[in-house]
Amino acid sequence: MSRNIRRVKERAFLCGVALLTALAVLPLFHIIMTVTVRGLPEVVSGGLRFLTGTLSEGGIGPAIAGTFLLTFLSALLGLPVAFLVGLYAYEFPNSAVGRWTKTLLQIMLEFPTILVGVFVMQVLVVPMGTYSAIAGTLSLAIILTPYVAVYTHEAMRQIPFTYRETSFSLGLTRTRVLFRVLAPMARRGILTGGLIGLAKVAGETAPLLFTAGGLYESYPHSVTAPVGSISLLIYQLVQSPSPADHRMAWGASLVLLLIFLDIFVPIRLSLREVKL
Amino acid sequence: MRDTFRALTLPAVLAVFIIFTGMLVVYFTNAVLAFHRFGLDVYLTNVWHASEDPEKEIYGIAAAIWGSVYTALIAVAVALPLSIAYSIFVVDYSPRWLKNPLIVISDIMAGLPTIIYGLWGALVLVPFLRDEIMKPLYEHLSFIPLFSYPPTTGYSYFSAGVLLAIMVTPFASAIIREAYTMVPFIYREAVYALGATRLEATRILLGYIRPAVVSGTILAFGRAIGETVAVSLVIGNTFNMTWALFAPGYTVSSLIANQFGNAFIYEYMTPVLYAAGLALFVIGLAVNLLGIRILRRWEENVP
Repeated sequence: MSRNIRRVKERAFLCGVALLTALAVLPLFHIIMTVTVRGLPEVVSGGLRFLTGTLSEGGIGPAIAGTFLLTFLSALLGLPVAFLVGLYAYEFPNSAVGRWTKTLLQIMLEFPTILVGVFVMQVLVVPMGTYSAIAGTLSLAIILTPYVAVYTHEAMRQIPFTYRETSFSLGLTRTRVLFRVLAPMARRGILTGGLIGLAKVAGETAPLLFTAGGLYESYPHSVTAPVGSISLLIYQLVQSPSPADHRMAWGASLVLLLIFLDIFVPIRLSLREVKL
Repeated sequence: MRDTFRALTLPAVLAVFIIFTGMLVVYFTNAVLAFHRFGLDVYLTNVWHASEDPEKEIYGIAAAIWGSVYTALIAVAVALPLSIAYSIFVVDYSPRWLKNPLIVISDIMAGLPTIIYGLWGALVLVPFLRDEIMKPLYEHLSFIPLFSYPPTTGYSYFSAGVLLAIMVTPFASAIIREAYTMVPFIYREAVYALGATRLEATRILLGYIRPAVVSGTILAFGRAIGETVAVSLVIGNTFNMTWALFAPGYTVSSLIANQFGNAFIYEYMTPVLYAAGLALFVIGLAVNLLGIRILRRWEENVP
């Protein structure tokens, strides 16, 4: 009898686990479906005008350009720093600075992004007197750096220790061992980290709220002038009461979703594990 | 000669340290004015009285801090069972062909731009929760204080908590799943050799990874408490300090997102918002340090 109860409990448990798992991943399908169903008509009916026109023409061209500009500039600023920091954390794992660096990277990885935005506003936007692309870039770079640094660190740790020993035994300097031998061996992992970091910051909104400013009626022309981004535009459109703006927001989020999936999915499928 | 490496990398490390301490300094120095004027009341009272006349300005952000903690708690309470079940399923019971797709889906969810969650939450999830869950609960069970607030718009602590739960589930799952994979295989063999059912075995194995579950929960909490745009679109943005799930509220980050843009008009609002940011800073730091420490200690002890 008790044997039966145990079997019944086991069945219930298995069904429960499967059900909860389905529930956990269901939202993604619903989100993708809704964004496609509601966004596609907007994009299709707008056609090229939707992708290249300004906001008053019914397009999100400047926002798309802004997203690419900000992502590109933040990569330019953040990737080298992240790479060097990751190398440092790998090379000196037991020194005090090395340990602190690792902890700090972990903390910054989880840090509320809005706080980064407000900080950058205080140190860049207030002195300059205007929102600007550089302020948005700095914000995004601060968020990008810990991601890529942690990835670099992890990728370097995968290299077997013997390669280190061999390189040093050849009489190479530390700089050469790390930059010419070990880093190239880990290039795949490092590159992956960089791309995932970029996919992440391309969709960020909170750090841009008080730094980028927004620019939707003309294309960005200067890094010291305000710039828009797709995510920022969606945030503004959702808060408007007008249904036309909501339709536009769905269209814009379809574009953002495609940009994100286009970067993220190929990388994700090309490797076994990622850390987010 | 040997120190070229240090000379190259140390400036970058230094830059990261400077930015971090710089953030702490900026938040503190900008918040000082608020502490001078209101003392600790800025954190302990719930008032928001903006005025052109600086003498009449009174602010206390207790409601926002409460909202941050409350929504993050709801999120974790919903996300925890989901992520544990997900981890168990993926590691132990999923058909082979489904395993990798499930992991990829979860990773995509973890990285998906938060504004898309926000848009979907505000225009799809909130109306659904309001009509299918909040209204029935309110109609039949409103004598329970938790359900006593009439859900007219649907924008509420509850909606924010559920949306956050969806957003942090993949994140907690990743930590728990990784730990669950690391349980040595002999443990499984031993448990089944004793004649345990799969339920009993899973229970024992979960006990083995309890520290990882705890730290996954804490880190998910940390992530939920800092989330901004998605929450500010579904929480209703009202100062409200209550247990009532269906009441609209505020969180620290949504308060900053909403008020910072026009705060410069008033004398004391900006310092108060910096004080709010400082509180979020400190909570985030404490929560994340705790979570990271537990996880690290566990990882060191795993064979």
